[in-house]
Amino acid sequence: MTQDEISRRDFLRRAAAAGLAVYGIGELAGLDGAAEAAGPPTIAVASKKSPAQLVQAAVNALGGMKQFVKPGNTVVLKPNVAWARKPEQAANTNPEVVAEVVRLCKAAGAREIKVIDHAIDLDTAAFKMSGIQDAAEKAGARVISARSQGMYQRVNLSRGKVLKSADVLRDLMRADVCINLPIAKVHGSTKVTLGIKNLMGVVWDRGAWHQSASLDQCIADFAVQFRPKLTILDGVRTLLTNGPKGPGKVGTPGVVVAGVDPVAVDAYGATLLNFKPQDIGHIKLAFAAGVGEMRLDRIKVKHV
Amino acid sequence: MSRRLRGLRRTSQLVFLAAFVVLFGLAAYLVATPIPPDAFLRADPLIAFSGMASARRVILPLLWFAIPVLALSLALGRVFCGWVCPMGTSIDLAERLFHMRGQRPSRAPQLRRVKFYILVAVVLTIILPAAHRSAGELGIAQTVGLSAVYWLDPIAFLTRTFALVVLPVVQWFVGLANDSLMGFGYTDFVGRHDWLARAIAPVQTGLSVVSRPVYFRLGVFTFAASAGIIALGRLARRFWCRNLCPLGALLGFLGKASPIRFAVSDACTRCMRCVNECKVGAITDDPHAYRGVECIECYSCVAVCPVSAISITAGRAQTHRDDRLELDRRRLLQAAGVGVAAIVLPKIDWGQRLAASSTMKFAGSKLIRPPGALPEESFVTVCVRCGECMRICPENALQPAFGEGGLEALETPILVPQVGPCAQPCTLCGSVCPTRAIEPFTVEEKPHLYLGTAIVDRSMCIAWANDKQCLVCQEACSYIAILQKQIDGLGRPVIDERICVGCGLCESACPVAPQRAIHVYATGDKRHLSRGEQAAIRRQAGEPQRGGATGMGDTSG
Repeated sequence: MTQDEISRRDFLRRAAAAGLAVYGIGELAGLDGAAEAAGPPTIAVASKKSPAQLVQAAVNALGGMKQFVKPGNTVVLKPNVAWARKPEQAANTNPEVVAEVVRLCKAAGAREIKVIDHAIDLDTAAFKMSGIQDAAEKAGARVISARSQGMYQRVNLSRGKVLKSADVLRDLMRADVCINLPIAKVHGSTKVTLGIKNLMGVVWDRGAWHQSASLDQCIADFAVQFRPKLTILDGVRTLLTNGPKGPGKVGTPGVVVAGVDPVAVDAYGATLLNFKPQDIGHIKLAFAAGVGEMRLDRIKVKHV
Repeated sequence: MSRRLRGLRRTSQLVFLAAFVVLFGLAAYLVATPIPPDAFLRADPLIAFSGMASARRVILPLLWFAIPVLALSLALGRVFCGWVCPMGTSIDLAERLFHMRGQRPSRAPQLRRVKFYILVAVVLTIILPAAHRSAGELGIAQTVGLSAVYWLDPIAFLTRTFALVVLPVVQWFVGLANDSLMGFGYTDFVGRHDWLARAIAPVQTGLSVVSRPVYFRLGVFTFAASAGIIALGRLARRFWCRNLCPLGALLGFLGKASPIRFAVSDACTRCMRCVNECKVGAITDDPHAYRGVECIECYSCVAVCPVSAISITAGRAQTHRDDRLELDRRRLLQAAGVGVAAIVLPKIDWGQRLAASSTMKFAGSKLIRPPGALPEESFVTVCVRCGECMRICPENALQPAFGEGGLEALETPILVPQVGPCAQPCTLCGSVCPTRAIEPFTVEEKPHLYLGTAIVDRSMCIAWANDKQCLVCQEACSYIAILQKQIDGLGRPVIDERICVGCGLCESACPVAPQRAIHVYATGDKRHLSRGEQAAIRRQAGEPQRGGATGMGDTSG
């Protein structure tokens, strides 16, 4: 089953829930309808625990990992492992968070768990220094550096406004479940990098996004078509200055945010970095495209 | 007994070639080895001599390996050539593979002398610049020579061929196989079978390392040179060893002291098999006489003799061993002239023009050296062009120089950021350099080892020229040397040249392809300063702070 089919099914479900009438009103109105008909999205925010416990608490608040991972599933986890930086520098996803998600997937009966990223720094250094290689392998995952073009396949993005196609990780296309594991950081060109921005790491030809008419629109276009089953945002540490690579000021909100709605998780995540969701171009565009809810007053937050 | 000796020699050849390949391979993939990965280079007396002459001091780690080779040659003749040298073995294997038996063994015997002329020229290119540099310290202008040894020494040549040709070819094929298998979905197949996944996990890890594609520009020239050396086997077997190799010439010269002699008994029927079998044409016409300087002690003659007339003895024997070098004085002077020319000719090369026109000594604009590299004038004499640094560079960023530094910098390593950057946590090139042309350095030192400076080409830059969100260069920068200037609500990259060390991460990450919009030039290279002075410059620049994005102000679209 491809990611494309998952999101199509998802899209159809939403469309059905919204009703055909809503579609007639226009895109934005249609989205309002969709959001309301499906009920307000719920995100879980866990705090005041060890990183592993934060993950457990947040996922349990959403009904447990069994809601997302079925026995025998192949799971792809997409942490941010872009940089050759140490965990305390908050440039990559916290290794303990990644390891705990691996363990939860395993407990839910996943057959194979792959931890994959397309690092920007030297991949071997990034995977090692981030601590993710060791932690994830110890927890029972296979760690894959997506560094050769042969690992990607061309995918047409029919619904993209600017982004019409992308070379996407083949492992992701073939996975049953994708769980996005971003870390919250500020970012030079997109202000913040959270969940949907983190998905740039499954694309080979991401350089073209910068050359396109709008990077923010590309991020949103990709999020329309590629919707992870679950987004678990690492807010144990956040990078507050000199993002996305740092070194910079590291914040310690000590939270993990989990949610099915990627935009809702990002909207909440933006506040961890002292931004309003509506100030972030790609979040706004993803919201407008109907990917999810960004209005904080419409997001149900379960604190655990 | 005689055939057993030949078998033993062949075994020795294969063992040493295998050792060379294994050491090379293990070092290429960062596996620690009990003996130094550059053991063969160190064991090469010419390289050891050249390294010490350039450094003008005795380097013990070089001597520990080179002295046994010298002693071996003094005692037993050119045993190294026949039993050890991986280049000689490679040539033997290639000649077998391509059925090259050579022509008449005695063809063009006068060519044998050429290797001695080459040796003389090579030694001159080692001694003269070193001596002149000593003089230079007394106030005389410095000079740089063209150390021909690096091009003509067999061990350096073979190491370079492995690094620049063999390794890329192997990795390309492995990568192709790996990608094709993944294309057929073998990872998913494996994923469905736990036992299989466990069984091949180490293989997959290995594959992911070995399948990393590496490219070296103009590697095809290195290939052509090695192919040419092998093709010469059509003229005569081991053409390289018998006519050209300066190391062979040196060891043969030393081997004159060896007491080893061949004795040919009266049983000899003059069947001439030994003459035809001799790989290096040491037995010319008369089976009862041979040239000691040429003999590589392969003992093929002993093995092929149908009447077992040849035996090996120490000391006096009735066979005539001719130890003359047959050099004539005029040719030697010519060779010396070539050596001097090799030192002088680079002085009229355009590299000198680049040096004169730049603020630095001996640096062209794209002559970006790896961190820890010696000042240019020392670097080109100390670097042996073995390619160790290039093959170990995990980003494939170190490439052989072609025109950037002129003739004397040919095939020395330069950083080509368009291919790859100098990865921030990496210190490998400094740790593998056998001659310390790249001195070891630490990750902590890297922020003040200035290789060059990045410059934004605003006419190409997505942010500057096209008013679009980009700043990939700023994202990638390890040292916060790229700031953003907010103009019309959009960030545009600006370099802080006091902090930029020229690692090239920005250039390699720049999405403007194929021509990047940010370029590193050697400008700002501070190798002529000590590390302490460079550190002081970095301290003066202060703490880098590009500042955080704040929640205020809607500036993006």
